[in-house]
Amino acid sequence: MAAERLMRDVVVDAVYEAARRDRNVFFLSADLGAAALDRFRAELPAQFVHTGISEQHMIDLAAGLALSGKTVFCYAMASFLTARCYEQLKCALAAMRLPVTLIAVGVGCGYDDAGPTHYTLEDVACLRALAGIEILSPADAEATAGIARLALERPAFRALRLERPALPPVYGGRFAAALRTGLAEVAPGEDVCLVSSGYLLHRALAVRARLQAEGLAAGVVDLFRVKPIDVRALARVLERYRAVVTLEEQFLPGGVGSAVLEACADAGLLVPVRRLGLPERYPFENGGRDHLLQRAGLGLDDVAAAVRALAAPRAAVA
Amino acid sequence: MTLAERSRWLRRELFEMVVRTRRGHVPSSFSCAEILLALFYGGVLRYEPGRPDAPERDRLIVSKGHAAMALYPILADVGFLPPGALAGFTRPDGVLRMYADPSIPGIESVSGSLGHGLGIAAGFAFAARHDGAARRAFVLLGDAECSEGSVWESALWAAHHRLDNLVAIVDRNRCCILGDTEELMALGDVEAKWRSFGWDAVTVDGHDVDALLGAFARLGRTAGRPLAIVANTVKGKGISFMEGRPEWHNRMPNEAEVAQARRELGAGA
Repeated sequence: MAAERLMRDVVVDAVYEAARRDRNVFFLSADLGAAALDRFRAELPAQFVHTGISEQHMIDLAAGLALSGKTVFCYAMASFLTARCYEQLKCALAAMRLPVTLIAVGVGCGYDDAGPTHYTLEDVACLRALAGIEILSPADAEATAGIARLALERPAFRALRLERPALPPVYGGRFAAALRTGLAEVAPGEDVCLVSSGYLLHRALAVRARLQAEGLAAGVVDLFRVKPIDVRALARVLERYRAVVTLEEQFLPGGVGSAVLEACADAGLLVPVRRLGLPERYPFENGGRDHLLQRAGLGLDDVAAAVRALAAPRAAVA
Repeated sequence: MTLAERSRWLRRELFEMVVRTRRGHVPSSFSCAEILLALFYGGVLRYEPGRPDAPERDRLIVSKGHAAMALYPILADVGFLPPGALAGFTRPDGVLRMYADPSIPGIESVSGSLGHGLGIAAGFAFAARHDGAARRAFVLLGDAECSEGSVWESALWAAHHRLDNLVAIVDRNRCCILGDTEELMALGDVEAKWRSFGWDAVTVDGHDVDALLGAFARLGRTAGRPLAIVANTVKGKGISFMEGRPEWHNRMPNEAEVAQARRELGAGA
C-alpha cells in the first residue's frame, strides 16, 4: 500500500493553494508545524500568522480577521484548540457565527504516550454543544482533501478533527458522493451496523472482516460529520440493521454514540444501540494508543464480542 | 453642544435608561463617559454619521461589555440607531441589550465576557494593515478586565506585530465587583506593564477630555508600537454616592437616590 499522506499536510496544502490565489486567506498557527507548512511560511509569510502558544488569543484574533472579511484557518493541537479556548469559540466564533475553520490535529489518544493533557477524550461532546458548528472527522487522506475543499469553498464555523497518523485509504475515490449527507456506509452488512469515524473507523472495518469469517455480516458506517447529522440519511441506513454499535475514542456522555441515539430518536427509529467508548478517567499510562484502546475495551476482540452479542441468534452461535 | 455639555448629557441619558428599565451598569458606564466622548466628538474616531457600516470606518470595541451601553446614546446621536431605539433598551421589542453585539448598528463585536476585545481588535488592526487601509482599531478595556490572561496574550502579540494602528484604552477606575483592585488583585503600575509588553503607553486623567485628546494625538507617532492609554477614572463619576463605591456595580437606586442623582446630574437644568 502506498504511504498515505498525513491529514495535516493535505489540509495545509489545500489552504496553501487557495491562499496563493487569494490574499484574504489566512493560516494561523498556535505553534504547531507540519511538513507542508514550511512552504506556506516561506512563500506566503503575510498570510501565515504565528499567534504564539496563545489559543485564546488565536481565536479572538481569528474573529477580528473574519469580521474584516478574511477567510481564516486556525491550526493547533486538538486538545488545546478545543478545550483551552472554549470560551472564545463560544463568544467570538459561535455567537457571531463567524466562518472560521478549526484544524485540530491529533484527536483521541493520537499523541501516543503524551498523556491526557494531549488527548482529546471529550472534544466531540464539547464541540457539539456549540451552536452552529459543523464537526468533521475524516478517516483517510481522500476524505481529508474533500473536507478541506469544502472548508475553502463554503466557509463556515467548522472543526476539522484530524488524526495525527496517516491512515489507510477507505474511500477509493468515492468520498465526494458522501459529502452531502456527511456519512457513508463504507462496508455493507445486514445484521449489526458499526458506526464510527476517524481512527476507529479502521478498527470497525477490521472487526467486520473478522466477523465475516464467522459468517456474521456486519456493516460499517463512517459518520464523519457528527454535527449536524443528516438524521434521515442515517436512519435510512440504520433501519436495515437489527442493532447498532457505536465506536468512539471519547468519553461516552455527549459523544458520537449520544449523537447517534439522538438522531435515531429524532427519526423515530427504534433500534438497539450499544455505545462503546472510553471509561471516564484520564489515563496516565504508558503503552501507546492501541494499548489504551485495548485496556478500555475497544480492542478487536472486545468490539467483535459486542457485535456478536447483538447479532441474530444464528450468527451468535456460529 | 460643548464636550463638557456632552458629558452631562451622556450621563443623564444613561442614568434614565437604567432607572427606566432597572437594567444596566451606571458606575461602569460613567467612568468611561469622557473616553467615549473624546473618541466620537473629539475628532479621534473616523466614522460617517448615519453609516455604521462604512467600510473604512475605524473600529471600536468596548471590551468591558457591561459599559457598552454607554455607547448607545452616542450611537443614537450620530445616526447609527433607528429612531426611538434608546427607549427600547432591554425591552423585549428593543434592539439595545444590556451587553452589546453586532446586531446593534455601530457595535463591532460581542462583548460581555471579558478579555476578548483586545484580540478581536488586534484582528481588525492586522487586517487593516494587510489591506493597506488606514482603518484603526480602538478597544476600551476595564482595568479589572486586565486580570484576564487573554488580554496579555493579545498585548504581546500586537506589540510583536508592531500594530501601531491599534489603541487600547484602560479605564483605570480601580474597582472590580468585590472592591478595590489594588486590595484584591493589584494591577500596580498599569502604564509600566503595557510599556514592558512593548507598547507605547501614557497615563492621563480619564475625565479630562483635553488630556485624553492629547493622548490620542500620539496615535501615528508611536514608532511601530501599539498605543495604550491608561485613563485614571472614578467609577460612578458624577453621582457622589456611587463614586468609587464597588457595591453600586449592580445595585439599583431607590426613589430618594434617584432624585439626588438627578439633581447632581443637572437633570432638567
